[in-house]
Amino acid sequence: MRGFFRNRYLQNSADDIRHFMRNPGLMAVTAVLLVLILIFIVYPIGSVLIKSFSVSYPTVTLRYETSVAASADVDRLVTHPLLGVLKNLQGLESARATGKSGSFAIHLRFQRDWDDLKGLNDTKRSISAIQGQVDPHVRKFTYRLGKESVNSIASYRDFFSNSYYYRALRNSIVLALVSTALVTFFAFCFAYLGLKGPDFLKGALRVMGLIPLIAPPFIFALALILIGGRMGIFTKLLHLPFNIYGWPGVITAQVITFLPLGYLMIENVLRSLGTNLEDAASDMRASDVDILFKITIPLAAPGILKAGLLVFLMSIADFGNPMLIGGGVSFLATDAYFLWMSENNLEMAAVFCVFLVLPSMIMFMIHEYILKGRVYTTIGGKPQQSEKRRMSPKIFYPMLAIVTPLSIMIVLCFGMIFIGAFTKILMVDNSFTLEHFQSSNGFYSLVTSLKFAFSAALIAPIIGVTLSYILVRKRIPFKRILEFTALLGFAVPGTVMGVGYIIAFNAPPLKLTGTFIIMIINEAFRNLSVSLEAGSSKLHQIDVAIEEAAVDMGAGAFATFSQVVLPLISSALVAGFVYTFMVGMIAVSAVIFLITPGNNLASLYILAVAEEGFLGMACAISIMLIVVVAASLGTLKVISKYTKTEVF
Amino acid sequence: MRDMADNGSPIILELQNITKRFGDLMAVNNISYALARGKLVTFVGPSGCGKTTLLRIVSGFIEPDEGRVILDGEDITRIRPNARDTAMVFQNYALFPHMTVARNIGFGLQMMKKPKNEVKNEVERLLDLVQLSGLGERKPHELSGGQQQRVALARALSLHPKILLLDEPLSNLDANLRVMMRTEIRKLQRRLDLSIIFVTHDQEEAMSISDLLVVMDQGVVKQVGSPTEVYEQPVDDFVANFVGHINFFPGEVTAFGREELILKIDQVDLKVQRPAFEVAPGDRLKAVVRPESIDIVDAQTSTGADQNVMEGQIEVAMYIGSVMRYTITAGDQTVYVDESDPQYQGIFQEGKAVKLILKKRIHLLKVQEA
Repeated sequence: MRGFFRNRYLQNSADDIRHFMRNPGLMAVTAVLLVLILIFIVYPIGSVLIKSFSVSYPTVTLRYETSVAASADVDRLVTHPLLGVLKNLQGLESARATGKSGSFAIHLRFQRDWDDLKGLNDTKRSISAIQGQVDPHVRKFTYRLGKESVNSIASYRDFFSNSYYYRALRNSIVLALVSTALVTFFAFCFAYLGLKGPDFLKGALRVMGLIPLIAPPFIFALALILIGGRMGIFTKLLHLPFNIYGWPGVITAQVITFLPLGYLMIENVLRSLGTNLEDAASDMRASDVDILFKITIPLAAPGILKAGLLVFLMSIADFGNPMLIGGGVSFLATDAYFLWMSENNLEMAAVFCVFLVLPSMIMFMIHEYILKGRVYTTIGGKPQQSEKRRMSPKIFYPMLAIVTPLSIMIVLCFGMIFIGAFTKILMVDNSFTLEHFQSSNGFYSLVTSLKFAFSAALIAPIIGVTLSYILVRKRIPFKRILEFTALLGFAVPGTVMGVGYIIAFNAPPLKLTGTFIIMIINEAFRNLSVSLEAGSSKLHQIDVAIEEAAVDMGAGAFATFSQVVLPLISSALVAGFVYTFMVGMIAVSAVIFLITPGNNLASLYILAVAEEGFLGMACAISIMLIVVVAASLGTLKVISKYTKTEVF
Repeated sequence: MRDMADNGSPIILELQNITKRFGDLMAVNNISYALARGKLVTFVGPSGCGKTTLLRIVSGFIEPDEGRVILDGEDITRIRPNARDTAMVFQNYALFPHMTVARNIGFGLQMMKKPKNEVKNEVERLLDLVQLSGLGERKPHELSGGQQQRVALARALSLHPKILLLDEPLSNLDANLRVMMRTEIRKLQRRLDLSIIFVTHDQEEAMSISDLLVVMDQGVVKQVGSPTEVYEQPVDDFVANFVGHINFFPGEVTAFGREELILKIDQVDLKVQRPAFEVAPGDRLKAVVRPESIDIVDAQTSTGADQNVMEGQIEVAMYIGSVMRYTITAGDQTVYVDESDPQYQGIFQEGKAVKLILKKRIHLLKVQEA
């Protein structure tokens, strides 16, 4: 049976390849997309993995030119005496001599954490002892500092032997688990109440679900610092002996940040369940509480779990919140940044990245292979017209009690951002001011952000939607692999894509780090999947027969695509554009590795000034950022209205 | 009258002036009706006629704007679905996909806090009743459509409801299974003496299964009657059309006696039994004739009297197996005729001149003013 399956699979692949080869246009487009994906998604991620399995040693290379003709003589007269003194150098791991005809060198490799300058000075000092002996034979000495990379699992050994490192992994996982559990719990209550509770709650919940989409993802951490930080309103007014930095802060900030995501997903799940089964249970004498626990929750469980998985991924990849409000607690995503930024320890940063990816991959696999197809939706039959039932007080009041404090917290957070933006220094000098809005660096970063987000939003939909067309409609070999790699950029935490880009594009032939363009490429390829999804879902809605009709009328593949398909899926292009633009405006985690002076983005600038304690300015720029994003979306909406393109 | 339905059986359910609007749409418009115990009554009508809304008002999922629902003497209008003595079989069965068949069937009893043993025995009995013994541990998606249907039925029966509500229960089954299942439902209803409201849009299904039909259109009841009554003596064009193919012959009353009257259509005189309502010469009436009630013979055949005979020409002859369906032009009129057992009767070719004999079963309707 297994052999049969494999043969059939091979047979299919062979057919696909044959079909593919007969179609040069398709081949060319697919090849271009594949190359782009390989270079800008697979290669950086692969580089991280390779880097994590290497260690680099500080090296000192000593070169000398000699007038002695025979190599053997050089060894006897110069090299051996040199090695003789150098082998006693402090921290030396190995010394290796190379050379031929006039130019020779000794490579000195020091211990991993050895200070290379000390190594250099020690080398010079050692040599000076035998200077007189070798000088007659040597024309010139040159020294060079360097690094030597060696394949090794030493970084992993370090990771597990150093509590400072492995604690970051433990913390990240604990944080993700706690945040996920809380978010799914709260999101379920919000969604359930919004869907089945009184109508007036619905609008408020929707707004709450959508606003954070255009706000920088760490805005709640910022607000929480204003509320419960060392100089926070509550801390000061109530003379609290503690502040919110650390675990309570990060967890609270994450719960509020990811609540909308969980809410939107779980609401969708509950909605798609329909009321049919609940009606049936009610008909079978079940009380409302019974229905909730015996029917609704079990049925929604796979969908809730799915939402939970996504929240888990977002939480573990979260950068801004731990950065701002994490206090002294270490987390993988942010510590990978610090390892690179302050220690230039890319190897350990790469190991951190691997441990960032592993949980994500495990979750992704669970999602793909266990949860897929286990989502219950109402099967068959039209949705019945049914009156919204009054919610039982036994459910309504407990849920309201759960939802209310969190809602107040959210409103309070938004309020604090406003108060902070218009106050000189909160709790120190509470006078009104507009000065926080007058930051020229802030304005400049906003303009950069606009350029950045706009450019990325032009690239991602074109590649994503074209790819979706090929994946959905065309017969190409190894489709799943192409799809998987395209989605990888999104599935992998931003920190990983950041570190990956630094490792991959820091050397020729693709030395791109430090340029504005690499930031844009990074953003575009990280968000490919949304355009891809938008394209496929649109294509699945369009009957293939429409394209077949075009071909039947004599249109070629290109004409069919450009004149029939493209107009039909233009809304997917626009949706991809809008989404990429929005997330580009508030991007943090990957681009923070790629920014250079002069190319600072608004979201990163906010993060930077907030870290330096200029909270008022951070609030003010946050508000400006939200306004700019909202205004851009408004403009788009107006354009779409006049051009009659469907956008939202 | 309060406790007895039209035919003398005690009443199980009474609907009093039920009205329900959805926005501007009048879904159910002032319907009053009393159902006899132990009968299978079918609400039938085109989609949007209000039949499902009415059913869901009985089950409690929709609250009527006006009117009362009285079940076995008790006003249940404001009682929630889970406290009503009704049980419903849903159109798509609404089986709980995360529970086994046995747990599905036992769910209602479990909710009523019956002891585990009792639930188990009852589930076994019900599985046996719907011929699903041994499938209790399966999940619903592991069953065929027909089996799922039986589970839904068993689940509803588990509550021993005073009235069983079936909402288009057969519409998701294929044609053969549908016929089989409706026979089974009918047998079960007779055996257990169940009171059932059955909702369907399929007139054939409705006719074949019911004791009584309630034909609905646009939120009102058009006609209540046995299948025969509704088919043979429809109260208006809508009902006549809805329950089968039909020919309308509008004409004028030219003469009438004690038993019969003459209706002149085109050039032909139709001798028909007098209807129950008052008629006078000169009245415009409509003869309503089912296609199978018209005989068709060769134009050369001598038919004796001219009365009740029309001449025409075969326009289309369609062979459907059990019947031959002819579309015939007779003067200005298009007439549909079904001839059963066509191989035996002989088939008329298209274009052939024929005579139509309208002798049997002619029903008269007043011409409705537009």
